[in-house]
Amino acid sequence: MIRAPLRPLVKILAARAKGQNPDDIERQNIQARTNAMRETARAQAAGRLLMLGAAFLMCFGTVGMRMGQLASADPAEPTLRSSGARMLTQRADIVDRHGRILATNMETYALYAQTRDLVDPARAAAGLAQIFPDLNADDLLQDFTGKRSFVWVRKKLSASQRQAVHDLGEPGLLFGPREMRVYPNGRLASHVLGGAGFGREAVYAAEIKGLAGIESFYDDTLRDPARADDPLQLSLDLSAQAAIEKVLAGGMRMMQAKGAAGILMNAHSGEIIALASLPDFDPNNRPLPPRSGDPSDSPIFNRAVQGVYELGSTFKIFAAAQAMQMGLFDADDMIDTKGPLRWGRFKIRDFHNYGPKLSLQQVIEKSSNIGTARVAQKIGAEAQQDFLRQLGFFEPVALEMPEARVARPILPKNWSELSTMTISYGHGLSASPLHLAAAYAAIANGGKSVRPTLIKGGSGEGTQIISAKVAQKARAMLRGVVTQGTASMAQVPGYAVAGKTGTADKPARTGGYHEDKVITTFASMFPADNPEYVLVISLDEPVETSGLEARRTAGWTAVPVAAEVISRVAPLLGLRPDLREFAALN
Amino acid sequence: MSYLEHHSKTIPQGAKKLLYVHWPLVLLVTTVAVIGFLMLYSVAGGSFQPWAGPQMQRFGLGFAVMFVFAMVPIWFWRNISALAFGVSLLLLIAVEVMGQVGMGAQRWIDIGPLRLQPSELAKIGVVMALAAYFDWLPNQRLSHPFAILGALIIIALPAGLTFIQPDLGTALLIVIVGAIVIFVAGVHWAYFAAVFAIGAGAIAAVFQSRGTPWQLLKDYQYRRIDTFLDPSSDPLGAGYHITQSKIALGSGGWTGRGFMQGTQSRLNFLPEKHTDFIFTTLAEEFGFIGAGALLLIYTLIIVFCIVAALRAKDRYASLLIFGLSANFFLYFAVNMAMVMGLAPVVGVPLPLVSYGGSAMLVLLAGFGLIQSAHIHRPR
Repeated sequence: MIRAPLRPLVKILAARAKGQNPDDIERQNIQARTNAMRETARAQAAGRLLMLGAAFLMCFGTVGMRMGQLASADPAEPTLRSSGARMLTQRADIVDRHGRILATNMETYALYAQTRDLVDPARAAAGLAQIFPDLNADDLLQDFTGKRSFVWVRKKLSASQRQAVHDLGEPGLLFGPREMRVYPNGRLASHVLGGAGFGREAVYAAEIKGLAGIESFYDDTLRDPARADDPLQLSLDLSAQAAIEKVLAGGMRMMQAKGAAGILMNAHSGEIIALASLPDFDPNNRPLPPRSGDPSDSPIFNRAVQGVYELGSTFKIFAAAQAMQMGLFDADDMIDTKGPLRWGRFKIRDFHNYGPKLSLQQVIEKSSNIGTARVAQKIGAEAQQDFLRQLGFFEPVALEMPEARVARPILPKNWSELSTMTISYGHGLSASPLHLAAAYAAIANGGKSVRPTLIKGGSGEGTQIISAKVAQKARAMLRGVVTQGTASMAQVPGYAVAGKTGTADKPARTGGYHEDKVITTFASMFPADNPEYVLVISLDEPVETSGLEARRTAGWTAVPVAAEVISRVAPLLGLRPDLREFAALN
Repeated sequence: MSYLEHHSKTIPQGAKKLLYVHWPLVLLVTTVAVIGFLMLYSVAGGSFQPWAGPQMQRFGLGFAVMFVFAMVPIWFWRNISALAFGVSLLLLIAVEVMGQVGMGAQRWIDIGPLRLQPSELAKIGVVMALAAYFDWLPNQRLSHPFAILGALIIIALPAGLTFIQPDLGTALLIVIVGAIVIFVAGVHWAYFAAVFAIGAGAIAAVFQSRGTPWQLLKDYQYRRIDTFLDPSSDPLGAGYHITQSKIALGSGGWTGRGFMQGTQSRLNFLPEKHTDFIFTTLAEEFGFIGAGALLLIYTLIIVFCIVAALRAKDRYASLLIFGLSANFFLYFAVNMAMVMGLAPVVGVPLPLVSYGGSAMLVLLAGFGLIQSAHIHRPR
């Protein structure tokens, strides 16, 4: 209790009268006042203390909440945010008809240099040149010390190369993640697959772009992120493809040919089981188009699809089939084959003189130009054009490859009667081996047109071009070519083959034809009595030198190669050997 | 004659003091320390070596120190406050002169077998000095600019010496603890507003100085700040601690993987797993429930301390209790925030749990002072 102040004097006197010490009271007053002040300070301190205490408790609450949040969260490994849109171009795999991988992706790294961060550019350049022998230390040093602050060094690194670069310990050398297209089978089916390369490139990612073949045609589909896990399934059979490529390569070497092409196709569905063109390349490292020389000599040139050639006598069966379809001739009807056949200043000759008359069957078996020309004369230019158009020889084949879409057959500008005659035996009209395979498929499957495709499932049979009966007769003629005619080497134990040879002189650049350069083709189907598959084999400039004189005809070059292919491929395709065929051979 | 001495007759004497020890607080502190032993045992792969054993010895020593401190009357501590502050400053200077270089910073001083971190001691020194200062200061002059200046000098000297070690985290903690004591002492609001403004300016200056020749912080400290602002920007570099501890917390889930079953810490994903990041081991092995229990114990310790501070009749005792408990709280809060990715990695141990002698000893001594203030409260 604070006692009242003792001033003024009246109160002092009053206090003294009561026997109290006024100074003492003063002191007690001061003491009481100090205590009161202390109390207020303490109250204030208590308020602030409580305030801070509340703040502390809030912190506890925050920590507890955060703890709960983290405890309930999935313990996900954090991903690098700074790398931005990582692996934008997850590209779908490509597989063969049995699901075997043809093309897939691999993660790798690109190497680049931030030249400003290089500690010792000279040492870095020397180290890189040692790791990559194809890089030049002086050039690198020039790049590193030049004006550019950013230099690409390599687009793809192997794991050991990356480690070696890492071991250089140079902070200015950096790695950018890359997804790389990998073709684990190397050169196998290289022309079909085409290859892929980097499109737009950034440090943290690069776009993969199809450069040719399937990769290019289906680029958008393959890049579609929604379908990234959905491989593109081709109609190719990896085993058959490997067999054809191997046999073709062997045949090419034996015949010293410049190139070779082979197409194996399902005659009913149009599915291409194998498609090969030699020379080939490694799609993992697709070569650039040649700057000089003949582009068709380049390994990236697809002879089976892009190459348009005069396909020679393989065309004769079309004239025979059409004549039978139109009712002009039957297989046994005799045709005048007395040569040479003169047409203006032009003479049509046969390889041998086959005598004055041959039946239509024999014209095909012996491959008589004169006999075929006479048949074509009867058919006439217009009907012939119609028929060849239906067989697909007027348009590029709509195969799923950009190369096929631009391979337009070369037709005569003026389809004269002479053209009609020469085209009937395969001169004057150039088409790709793929065209030929599609047309032969129509004969093989009973007269229906076929659209070749590389996608499993096929496109099915199209319109009826010739009757099944005529097709059957034509097949009998083609069987005759193998059993009694020019393709006797196509006798494959266990499998009856039917087919037609074609030997065409190569056109010279200077005009006219080369005497000693030919393209030999064997278009065949098997098994002959009910063909499932069509096989076209074509060799560029082959020479067969086992005999006394060099032989260049298809019967000596393309046919044995095709026979070897069939003997290897037919069992792979699940065809049962025909025991009668063994008996016939022995 | 102070208020306290005036009432000295009601203060427990002799062995009776033991009855007035704040036993719940002792129990909680011991529980936390035992949790620490368990974690250190687990982190070492089920072994008392190299961490759990020494930690227990230190706790034993610290426990004894706590009781000795608790039995000494609080007025003795007040009377030697200035001396204690001076000694802690001298030690900080000594560490500059003869300190051993550890982890790029001079922080340790060897006194015989004891390895002392003077910056830890300085925190208690600052709290004692400020409490005594405001106890001495007449109330009406509390908010006088010269009075504030005195308080600021008491804070700035140890903070500055710690900062040049350099140990930014501890320096900041000294400043914050000092500011809390000043705040509770009842200094006018305006000063705090001014300090916030200056602080904002200082932060701006620190960032502005980056990359210039007069750079105020070391590069690693800037990196820690960067990581704080965006820890996921560099999960394999500076943000490694935080992302890994977040994984540990997440993988612990609600009930944890079980004692000694943590993978994150056992498989050496976490550096500093036995010191600053020991909480992640706890969270992974005992899950949210275990971590929440530890959190609750810490909360109770702080609540008991605040209640003790409120009940203390003596100004020095009240400020001392609250200052020391704020110090304890800050250890905990900064460590937790750091481990959970709410704050930068500044190298603050989890109080009483993390392996480390200095901090354990100093914290237990601090609890001794709190007990002393509690026991010697006039009743």
